[in-house]
Amino acid sequence: MASHGVSRPAVAAVKSEQARRQELAEIEKYKSLSELVNKKKAENDLSLDALDLTTKLVSLNPEYYTLWNYRRLILLRLFEQEQGNGGSTGSEATDALSPRQQVVEELITADLQFLIPLFFKNPKCYWLWNHRDWLLQQAQAQLPPVTALKLWQGELSLVGKMLSLDSRNFHGWGYRRTVIAKLEQLQDTNMAESEFEYTTKVIKASLSNFSAWHYRGNLIPRLLDSCQADSTTRRKRLNDEFKFIEQALWTDPYDQSLWGYHQLLILNIVPTAGRQSFVSDLTNSERLDLLEREFKGTRDLLEGAEKCKWIYQALLQYAELYLELDASNRLFTTQDLRHWLDQLKELDTLRTGRWNDLEKKLNL
Amino acid sequence: MSLVAGPGRGGLGDGQFSQNPKLCVDKHVAYIQSLDQRRDELDYWLTEHLRVSGIYWGLTALHLLGHPDALPRDDLLKYIISCFCDDGGFGAAPGHDSHMLYTLSAVQVLVTLDALEEFEQQIPRGKDKIGRFIADLQNRESGTFAGDRWGEEDTRFMFAGLLALSLLHLKHLVDIDKCVQYVKSCQNFDGAYGVSPGAESHSARVYTCVGTLALAGRLDAADTDALAGWLSERQLPNGGLNGRPEKLEDVCYSWWVLSSMAMIGRLHWIDKDRLTSFIFQCQDPENGGIADRPGDMVDVFHTHFGLAGLSLLGQPGLAEVDPTYCMPKQVVERVLNG
Ligand SMILES: [Zn+2]
Repeated sequence: MASHGVSRPAVAAVKSEQARRQELAEIEKYKSLSELVNKKKAENDLSLDALDLTTKLVSLNPEYYTLWNYRRLILLRLFEQEQGNGGSTGSEATDALSPRQQVVEELITADLQFLIPLFFKNPKCYWLWNHRDWLLQQAQAQLPPVTALKLWQGELSLVGKMLSLDSRNFHGWGYRRTVIAKLEQLQDTNMAESEFEYTTKVIKASLSNFSAWHYRGNLIPRLLDSCQADSTTRRKRLNDEFKFIEQALWTDPYDQSLWGYHQLLILNIVPTAGRQSFVSDLTNSERLDLLEREFKGTRDLLEGAEKCKWIYQALLQYAELYLELDASNRLFTTQDLRHWLDQLKELDTLRTGRWNDLEKKLNL
Repeated sequence: MSLVAGPGRGGLGDGQFSQNPKLCVDKHVAYIQSLDQRRDELDYWLTEHLRVSGIYWGLTALHLLGHPDALPRDDLLKYIISCFCDDGGFGAAPGHDSHMLYTLSAVQVLVTLDALEEFEQQIPRGKDKIGRFIADLQNRESGTFAGDRWGEEDTRFMFAGLLALSLLHLKHLVDIDKCVQYVKSCQNFDGAYGVSPGAESHSARVYTCVGTLALAGRLDAADTDALAGWLSERQLPNGGLNGRPEKLEDVCYSWWVLSSMAMIGRLHWIDKDRLTSFIFQCQDPENGGIADRPGDMVDVFHTHFGLAGLSLLGQPGLAEVDPTYCMPKQVVERVLNG
């Protein structure tokens, strides 16, 4: 948007005469190019020349969304023209490219390439992702499946690169999901397992990655469904994940993203209306045992981390869930709850109103 | 309305943070008034694709500041109408293609200026045309909306479409139950919402989803306590709010997070005083304007969202803002009850 994190050091209130002249010259250059492109657009000029002009202008300003629309109109016309110039439609069912398809493929590949440096310069620009998505849709509609598949595979390595530069890039993770869904569709496979391994790799590189934990959590049910996992395998997965996250929590109980994942697993022990568990056949006594184990494990984390608000928060949340399952509770006393809440109020003064509401809810 | 950043920087007008910062009403008014006189800056031209939204941000900020007439009404109206496209939508500037986001901004400006009738005099059946443009962008299968005819879908566009239709009294043109279903499908285990089913929770998307539920009269579909808990965790020790875990604070999240909390009745789950003083520190006390965080350059986007946030926090001297429509409450009441 307008300016995020623009911390240019003390922008001189008065620019030097030379800087001012230079800026005015740049404005003139930009405006005349923009006027030229708009004139072509008004004339419905859908030629290669017009495409080149949009290339120039959109490189200066990738946020100029109307240009991307214009560019797509030009590309569509160029695709069609090639259709008119021969290339029987009959041969298009095979993997070999007809002359028309070769041109279409060249145009699409060139545009995909053109976008890459723009991405790295403007990683948050929606219109770039938008345009890329359109190009790939076109590839799928106009080219043999093998060619479209090759392009989508290229996307997977691109998005991998983007995420290795910024492992929290919102667009990047979203795009990864899109790419995977497409690759699964085109190849009629399920990639949950390799994606799951990918999250393991990213998380091992840095525990503190909420996006990766989130993705992992969403992959588990798909992973289990894809191999028609039996109830033993499902239980094992739940336990393995608990082990994995507990190790991480012992490393850094102050890391918020880890607690998010722990909470997700806990909610799989105690499913509620509208939220299914990936181990749907847990018996009530299994639930109690699991919750008890996790509750005790969480409590143990307090040792050496008495000032960690996340632990108290988790204990209170899990206690509430536990009471719903077993009113005869042998796990904690009202005094415990009182103590944790007091700690929380002391450690987390920003959210006093929230803790006061919780106090009322728990009848403390 | 220029979207150029600066010239001032938040908190640094006099070279250091003031001990006891106050809301600089007159400075902000002057700042917004000055924005259209900056055509000698390249950024003025590079941000043309946001112009109509810029007018909405500036005009709304002025209303909240108690100076609703500080910009020339006739010029604004003429400009907005010049952005109307044949397909019934609005582009960001004359000659720009229509898009849902700018259609919403244009409708918000027309309503704020109380100019819908004048609009219809110049564009016969204009309101119906806008209504049809928006309704045609709904995906009747999933319920969500595209931003324009090129088809990108996003909960932002769903909320923007419903909001504009609501201001035009044309909500019946779309399938609202489907919108609610779609919002539910974007809900994560933490109670918050992502941009599409399966996507990580994000404050700005929470606003669009909760706003959609509010417009549909279906706030009961939210997991209120879990959602409010997630939103309250967005407040950082310096008082500012972030968009998702482990990210930096930013003034615009004062709006995305706070408005959502207001809609579900949990505004008291964060520390209002500390957020207020954080936003104060993002002001440029000399030249006006608010930045995303102290030390950065100010711009009209953050000026608007900073003031709207302060208004929700009950800041004296500011008009009340409506948490769903992000417009002056008085204006929303006039149009909905009128
Ligand atoms: Zn911001």
